Amino acid sequence: MMDLSIANFAQIIVACLLIIGLMVGNAVVMVYIERKACGFIQRRPGPYEVGPRGTIQAVCDSMKLLGKQIFIPGNVDWLLFFLAPILAFFPVLLLFLPIPFGKFLTGMRVDEGILLILAFSGIGVISNILAGWSSNNKYGLLGAARAVSQAVAYEIPMIMALLSVIFLSGTLNLSEIVERQGSWPWQWNIVCQPLAFFIYLVSLVGETNRAPFDLPEAESELTAGFHTEYSGMGFALFFLSEYANMLLVSFVCATFFLGGYKGPFLDGFWWMFIKAYLIMVFIVWIRWTFPRVRFDQLLNINWKWLLPLSIINLWVTAVVLRFV
Amino acid sequence: MFRAIIDNLKGLWSLLVGLSITGRFFLSPQRTTHYPRQVDDPECLASYRGPLELVPADDEGRSRCVSCQMCVKACPGHCLTVVKGDQGKAPKTYLYDFTLCCLCAACVESCPAGAIRFSHRVYLVATSREALHLDLLADLKSRAAKEAR
Repeated sequence: MMDLSIANFAQIIVACLLIIGLMVGNAVVMVYIERKACGFIQRRPGPYEVGPRGTIQAVCDSMKLLGKQIFIPGNVDWLLFFLAPILAFFPVLLLFLPIPFGKFLTGMRVDEGILLILAFSGIGVISNILAGWSSNNKYGLLGAARAVSQAVAYEIPMIMALLSVIFLSGTLNLSEIVERQGSWPWQWNIVCQPLAFFIYLVSLVGETNRAPFDLPEAESELTAGFHTEYSGMGFALFFLSEYANMLLVSFVCATFFLGGYKGPFLDGFWWMFIKAYLIMVFIVWIRWTFPRVRFDQLLNINWKWLLPLSIINLWVTAVVLRFV
Repeated sequence: MFRAIIDNLKGLWSLLVGLSITGRFFLSPQRTTHYPRQVDDPECLASYRGPLELVPADDEGRSRCVSCQMCVKACPGHCLTVVKGDQGKAPKTYLYDFTLCCLCAACVESCPAGAIRFSHRVYLVATSREALHLDLLADLKSRAAKEAR
C-alpha cells in the first residue's frame, strides 16, 4: 500500500477537488448530450432555444434545481432522508481515485484499485435503500427493493467479467492493467475477451439503473422510484451520482477492455475520455432504442444467461492461461 | 435448451436491428420546424380549417355575398352578423366572432353563393378577445389590396 505522507494527502485532496469538478461538469454535459441524442433519434432538434443550439439549457436546468424549495413530506425519517443523497454522492468520489486517467494522472495509486471500486460501489445501493425506506412512500419502497435485487444480481456477472481480465493481466492494479495492453486496438483486452466485454457492457447498464434496466425508477409505474419524495438539492445529488456512476463504469470499461489511456499515435488522458464518452453515448443510444424490460425478464437475463456465460468465460480463461 | 439459445440469439439480432434503426434516424434530417424562424410549407396547410374568410368576387375586393342570412341562421354558435347594404344585395357589414366559432362549416355549406370558406391562417394569435372579433369585409379588402400590390 501507500505511505500517508503530507504530499500524498495533498495529492488526494487535489484529486478529490478535480473529481468533484469532473462529476458536476459531466452531469451538465451528459444532460445536454442525452437530450440532444434523444431529440435526434426522435427526429426533432432537442433543446434549441437557450444559448447557441441550446448549449446553456443544462446549466439553466441545474440553476433551477438549485433554487427549488426542498419539500419534505410528513412522516419521513429525517436523519436517513437527509443522509441518503449524501451517501449516494460522496462514495462516488472515492471510486474515481484509483482510475488511471493518464500514465501519471491517478488520484491514488493502489495495488487493489478494482477491489476498492467494487467494494465501495455497494454504498450506492445502501443509499437507494435508505432513500426508499426513509421517505415513507410505497413507490419509494418498491423502487428501493427493486434497486437492491437488481444491483446484487448484476454485480456478480460484472465481477466475473472483470475477473477474467484480471486473470489475464495478473494484477488488480488498474494502471498495470492498462500497461499490459498496447496502443493499437488489436492489442487491447477486448480482442481476447470479447464475451467478457459484452457481459460487462450489459451488466453496466443494469448496475447503473439505466434504461432498458431502469426498473428502480421506472417513471410510468413507480413515478420516480426511490427518489420520488426528493426535490431540489436532494434530487440533484441523486442525479449527479447517477451520472457519475455511469462515467465511472465507462472509465472502468475503457481501462479493462479498451486500453485505457493508450491509443493510436499518442497515449494520453484524451484517449481515456474519448473512450469513456463513446461508451456513455452508447448507453444513451440504447436508452432511447429499447423499451423497459419486465422485472422477471431482467432477472432472467442475469441469472440464466449472463451468470453462466461469465462463469464459462472465466473457466475457459483460467484453463487457457494454465495450460497454454 | 438449443431452442432457447437460438431464440435468444435471434433476440440479440433484433436488438442490433433496433439500434441500427435508431442510429439511422439519428443521422437523418429532422421532421420538425423551428416555428418563429421557419414556417410550414403552404402545401401542408391546404386542408387546415382556420377562421372564416370571404371569397372574393373580383379583384377589387368585392364579396360574392348576397346577404341572404342563411349562414347566420345555420350557425350554431351565433358568431356571424350580416347587415344588408343600401344598394343591391351586397352586405354593409359582415362581422365574425372567432371566439364563438366551432369551425363546424355549417355556414360554408349553407351559403348559396359560395361566398365563405375556411382560411389557412394557422399562425393567427391574439392577446385579447376583441382582436378575434373579425370584420370579414375589411379583411377581404386588405387581401385584395395586398394582391394588387
